[in-house]
Amino acid sequence: MEPTDEFRDFGKKLPYQEPAGFFEQLSKKTLQQAKLREQNRRKSLVLWRTVAFAASLSVLAMLGYYMFEPEKPVTSQIVQEQQPVEPPQLKNQAIIKQPEVAEKKKVAPEKVLEKIDEKEINTEDIGDVLADLSDEELSQLAAMYKADPFISESEQ
Amino acid sequence: MNETSDALLLSLIKNPASKDKGFLQLMDAYKRPLYWHIRRLVVSHEDAEDILQETFINVYRFADSFKGESKVFTWLYRIATNECTKHFRKNKNWLKNAELITDQMIGNISGSDSDNSEAMLVKFQQSILKLPDKQRMVFNLRYYDELSYEEIGQILDSSVNTLKTNYHYASEKIKQYLIEHAS
Repeated sequence: MEPTDEFRDFGKKLPYQEPAGFFEQLSKKTLQQAKLREQNRRKSLVLWRTVAFAASLSVLAMLGYYMFEPEKPVTSQIVQEQQPVEPPQLKNQAIIKQPEVAEKKKVAPEKVLEKIDEKEINTEDIGDVLADLSDEELSQLAAMYKADPFISESEQ
Repeated sequence: MNETSDALLLSLIKNPASKDKGFLQLMDAYKRPLYWHIRRLVVSHEDAEDILQETFINVYRFADSFKGESKVFTWLYRIATNECTKHFRKNKNWLKNAELITDQMIGNISGSDSDNSEAMLVKFQQSILKLPDKQRMVFNLRYYDELSYEEIGQILDSSVNTLKTNYHYASEKIKQYLIEHAS
């Protein structure tokens, strides 16, 4: 028994009908639609290819720019930019040096004697220099000393 | 349509100079059986028209890629069936619409002087519509298009045994429905 035999009573007839003239118009309509789709597909394909080509070109150009860019010399602008960095270093030094000054102030009374000794050493040096001078030179020096208004005023 | 004329039509379509002519001839040969195959699955004429157009547009576009490993009509049925499956996935309410259409048909039949056989036809269609998608496709291809299980296997990409089982279940369900809704 054929599997289709069991529903023989119903036959192959369907309770549906196609609209009148449907099949006559269908072929040309579908061909037009197929051609239109094909054209649109080709257009979009060309567009996508162009966009992809342009995108790859720009990527290549950017890569080339970054890879083969020559090293720039140090410009005045860069120097200017570097300058403002220095003051904070000075400030830091000042801040760092402040305790040293304070230490020096604290240490000052102890060093007074050493300074006096240095002065004495200096006066001895001057004495040696004076001893080496001739009488004429000494008299010239004395004349200059007397003629200097600032030295004479300060002594008075 | 025999295989020689199918091959001739395909060679016409594959040649750019005679593509349109070959396409129109192929459409003329297969538009009716394909329309009814689709219409039995989706019921609505508008949907069937859209799917049929989409099927032939795909044929126009991909004719060059057809290698002739299967018969032309199984290739066409395969494209059409795939388009129907897409339609079912997209429109989940399609069955409701189909039931509305069949209800409307029953209303028209009861209002006219038509005999009882038309009402039976509608009930038969309703019972087919209640089947799961795969069983419905197998039943329609076997019952209405009278294709062999091997050909249906090429269209639905299934083994013969699976298709036989599907057909058996489908016919059992249809009988059950007709018994339950006999008046």
